[in-house]
Amino acid sequence: MRAYSYYTHHAERKRAIKVGGLLLCAILVICLTWDSSSAKLLIDVDNPNLGKMPIMVAQFTSNQPGSLNGSELASIIRTDLTLSGLFDVIEAPQPLPLTQNGDPELNSLSSSGAQALVMGSFQVNGSELTVECRLYDISLQKLDLGKRFTGPLSEHRYIIHRLTDSLLEKITNLRGSFTTDIAFIVDDPRTREIFLMNYDGYNLRPLTDTKVLNLSPDWAPDGKGLIFTSYIKGRPDLWYVPLSDGRRVVLISDRKGLNASGRFSPDGSKIALSLSVKSIPKIFIINTRGDIINQLTNGLGNDISPTWSPDGANIAYVSDQAGTPQIYIVPVTGGRPKRITLSNAYNTDPDWSPRGDELVFTSKIDGRFQICVIKPDGSDFRVLTNKGSNQDPAWSPDGRMIAFTSNRDGFKRIFVMDAKGTVQVPVSNKSGKSPAWSPRLSK
Amino acid sequence: MDNRHLTIYFTALMFTIILAGGCAKKIVRPNDMASPGFGLAGPGSVVESELQGIQSSLKTVYFDFDNYSLSPEAQASIDYDAEVLKRYPNLMVVIEGHCDERGTAEYNLALGERRAGAVAERLAALGIPSSRMNTVSFGSELPVDPNHNEEAWAKNRRAYLRVSK
Repeated sequence: MRAYSYYTHHAERKRAIKVGGLLLCAILVICLTWDSSSAKLLIDVDNPNLGKMPIMVAQFTSNQPGSLNGSELASIIRTDLTLSGLFDVIEAPQPLPLTQNGDPELNSLSSSGAQALVMGSFQVNGSELTVECRLYDISLQKLDLGKRFTGPLSEHRYIIHRLTDSLLEKITNLRGSFTTDIAFIVDDPRTREIFLMNYDGYNLRPLTDTKVLNLSPDWAPDGKGLIFTSYIKGRPDLWYVPLSDGRRVVLISDRKGLNASGRFSPDGSKIALSLSVKSIPKIFIINTRGDIINQLTNGLGNDISPTWSPDGANIAYVSDQAGTPQIYIVPVTGGRPKRITLSNAYNTDPDWSPRGDELVFTSKIDGRFQICVIKPDGSDFRVLTNKGSNQDPAWSPDGRMIAFTSNRDGFKRIFVMDAKGTVQVPVSNKSGKSPAWSPRLSK
Repeated sequence: MDNRHLTIYFTALMFTIILAGGCAKKIVRPNDMASPGFGLAGPGSVVESELQGIQSSLKTVYFDFDNYSLSPEAQASIDYDAEVLKRYPNLMVVIEGHCDERGTAEYNLALGERRAGAVAERLAALGIPSSRMNTVSFGSELPVDPNHNEEAWAKNRRAYLRVSK
């Protein structure tokens, strides 16, 4: 397997392959953490110098052309793979050169520099769709994975996303999260309803119908509903809405003042939120019925926007106790908060990564807001965006993508990028904000 | 050029208003109020049409960016509002805290809460019973001026007093 070294330049690879020196190939293979025990395509996601794996996704074929568009199916996979940040998707020849028995001519594809090939076919039976997909290792000239999925034709995008999930699992040992949804707030002048869409922006639909302001949606870990702050009673209270019926909202906490920025604990049994019962917004832990379990922070600062570490042991949050909003971490059982952001005067909106190794947050840099990451110990601060103003970051459940709000095209809308910010694309055309990424949803 | 003229005109107007306010007594007694509606009903009994008059007489309190402390101008506005509220002891008041669009929605929610709280605290110190007051933060969700410039932001960083029977 080749984990791509950052330094292995595309042109160099091409030349290497053209020169065709078996020797050169052998050296590359040895240099690049080749796992000889399992000869398969593998991206080692823990390698910090990881480059992108060049991959081809051929147009899907069918003996029933017209029932579905084979190039659309392939483009769903291409978008998924690109947004994972792990692949460099290369144009595949159309039609794909095939041998007599219908296999791809991998030999003729190797000069493209592509490491892997995805090809597939589909069959439509009434309202049922069957998709068959194969993953080839081009350099080893072998089949790596064959998958077949069947489902309703109307859900063809979901079926293809599931396919890409398993492709990613094969190549990285970690399943993708391409079948997930993003909840976000759609901006209308007087109302802010919660909408849902697939992570790539398709299948947009409204969830709530409250006709009032709604803020800060957060998914229940079971994926069956969301908590959010709503002005249904004229004040910012914490509510729950089940996905099964967006009109059946349930009140969780309506204490005096703020009941804001609620976030479910990883096991779903508790909620961290900001309450201002004693006039200053502070972080509290409540149960799902709304009873207070404990008050986590004290002092004169405004404390808001809690986020749980994935093990449920710590909470990161925003406080302006030092004069400007900064990010702090405190054990969930209480204790002395530790400030982790030291540069820039405005750091807000932390979201703890699913692997626990990073926090993504918003930082004000040169008068504009940018998405940044930092390690929980305050080290390794990095800026991921630089166009327009960018806010509200939220991790995908596999930690490989980040959704956020950007105004770079003149209005606020939801973008998705890979965890390193190498690919950043808008996924919604509707004006909106506060994306919340769903857990992996079982269907 | 038109815009510039307007700005100069507007600045001059604001200056005159501030000067006038400064020269006159800082706290205008309810008796001095010119609004129609005032003084028609006795304390405590307010008719619907009057409520509107009282509402429009109340002053909005303005704040600096990322700040909930009360400037001398803000304090003067609250002192004025306290006098209005004292005249109608049966009216309830909701103090709405608002922010400009810059910054994070959630952090702005906290900031708006503190702005509303700061106004409520001063009103209480001036003798308005806490039982008459409620605070609600709208963060940066409801700007009065939807534009994206300093002038709009200054108008949007505010605490608005909404009275009801």
